[in-house]
Amino acid sequence: MPFPLRIALRTIVSLLAISLVAFIVIAAMPSDPVAIAIRTWNLPATDQTVAALRAQWGLDLPLAQRYLAWLTRFLGGNWGTSFRTGEPVLSEFARRLPLSLLIGLSGLALALVAAVPLGFAAALNPRGLADRATRVLAVFVQAVPSIWLGLILIWVLGVHFRLIRPFGHDAGSLVLPILLIGLHSTAVLARVYRRDLIHVTTQPFFRTALAKGNSRSAALWRHGHGHAVYALLSAFRAEAGWAIGSTAAIEVLFGLPGISQFLVESIAARDYAVLQAYVMVVALWLILMNAIVEGALHWLDPRT
Amino acid sequence: MTRWRVLLAVGILALMALGALWQPHDPDAIDLASRFSPLTIGHPLGTDHLGRDLLARLMVGGWRTAIVVLTVALVGIVGGCLFGTTAALVGGWGETAILRTAETSIVIPTLIIALTAAAIFGLKPAIAGLALGLAGIGPYTLFAHALARRIVAQPYVHAARALGVSDGPLILRHVVPNMLPAVFTHVGSNAGLAVTAYASLAFLGLGADPSRPDWGGMLFEYRMFIFDHPMLLAWPGLAIAATAALFNWAFDRG
Repeated sequence: MPFPLRIALRTIVSLLAISLVAFIVIAAMPSDPVAIAIRTWNLPATDQTVAALRAQWGLDLPLAQRYLAWLTRFLGGNWGTSFRTGEPVLSEFARRLPLSLLIGLSGLALALVAAVPLGFAAALNPRGLADRATRVLAVFVQAVPSIWLGLILIWVLGVHFRLIRPFGHDAGSLVLPILLIGLHSTAVLARVYRRDLIHVTTQPFFRTALAKGNSRSAALWRHGHGHAVYALLSAFRAEAGWAIGSTAAIEVLFGLPGISQFLVESIAARDYAVLQAYVMVVALWLILMNAIVEGALHWLDPRT
Repeated sequence: MTRWRVLLAVGILALMALGALWQPHDPDAIDLASRFSPLTIGHPLGTDHLGRDLLARLMVGGWRTAIVVLTVALVGIVGGCLFGTTAALVGGWGETAILRTAETSIVIPTLIIALTAAAIFGLKPAIAGLALGLAGIGPYTLFAHALARRIVAQPYVHAARALGVSDGPLILRHVVPNMLPAVFTHVGSNAGLAVTAYASLAFLGLGADPSRPDWGGMLFEYRMFIFDHPMLLAWPGLAIAATAALFNWAFDRG
């Protein structure tokens, strides 16, 4: 099967699988949406109202039929209505998604751009300054959660030195969130990239490249970079998933009106239409990132 | 895995478990007369905006975090070994199916699993641990499978098979005991990650009941006092970072 077709097929299958899981799990939840709606909208809790609502939402149909109906509606852009805000879920998401995408993608892009020179410098001179610095950074980000680091930075920069306006809502206030999201991935990716470059230096072909008169940095760039970028991209896939969690925490910390902030507000209200849509949006993000990385890996090494 | 590492890991857990047995004060006792108390003999770490003792709250949070770490480890070890060894032993399309599912499950973000688990089973540390553990089963399965594959190829497994040992006892008596040390180290190396992940979940209000003290939940609750009482944020954050760093150090990660 040709590569693009294979990727497209796998993407569709994964999406269908996740949509099935999302639907079943949320349908299996113990709290009844009808009961919640009756409470939220102050309807009379008679058998008649319950039956009417169940019929209106198709809850009396078999599960398979409900799934198909939900999937059809979802694909058609009808994502249901939020209990809490009374607005269509799709437009709620459309309004909030750009901000979440902006900080998440900027953080990841920052990490990719920073990890290559940092990891290269670390591999060029093992036990040198860059190697030690990236090592300390990796140990640091694995212990200090980004929320606490964010709080420390808000205190140091915003309260102590008054350099930034904490919890502000201008373009400048996005710099700190993006840096916080990018820092973890920068450390992880730089170490992965360095590890693979170091591995290349133990290979016979690297010794040959040095023997031909290349400097260490030229040999490493010409013969090591390709290998290491491969590992870098594979690790990037995991970081794309990680970025969702850290974006969520950072949005809540800085009070940024993104989709995760919306999700946290919706969970307390058991707003299931929003939960389902969130699961699907996140799954779409991950599967698309995955497809992009696989495409890039295939481009680097067509044997895969 | 040397002995002092095991001792260190057990020591951290024991320290965290202390909060389950004894606290200097009732962690939920509100005392509006002594709000934002500085560090005193009676309140070694001071009190919060409701006059609750910070040390007592940190200790209870420590025990709750320990429950999460233990649940994550248990789910990871049991699930990973079960699926990994099964895949290695059955081979053929069963092996492919298990490995493919494990690979696909890695894609599902922890946040989503924790979110659905919290929505279905409620907000308890063990549930958050279960969710974090389930999120890790995919990689653990792949890891355990790689180990089990190597063990299954060993002569003593062939010998056991030739003696007529069936699959169940073979797994329990010969395969699992030989892979446990490596699996234990692998799962342990994620203990620090479990601590920070649980802190993030509690911060979001997804991991646990917001009325109970959790390190991440305390960061969320006290974040508006950053201007006037930044020390309220220093202690829970320090507890998270120190615990995660010690676990990472014990299992040599980084």
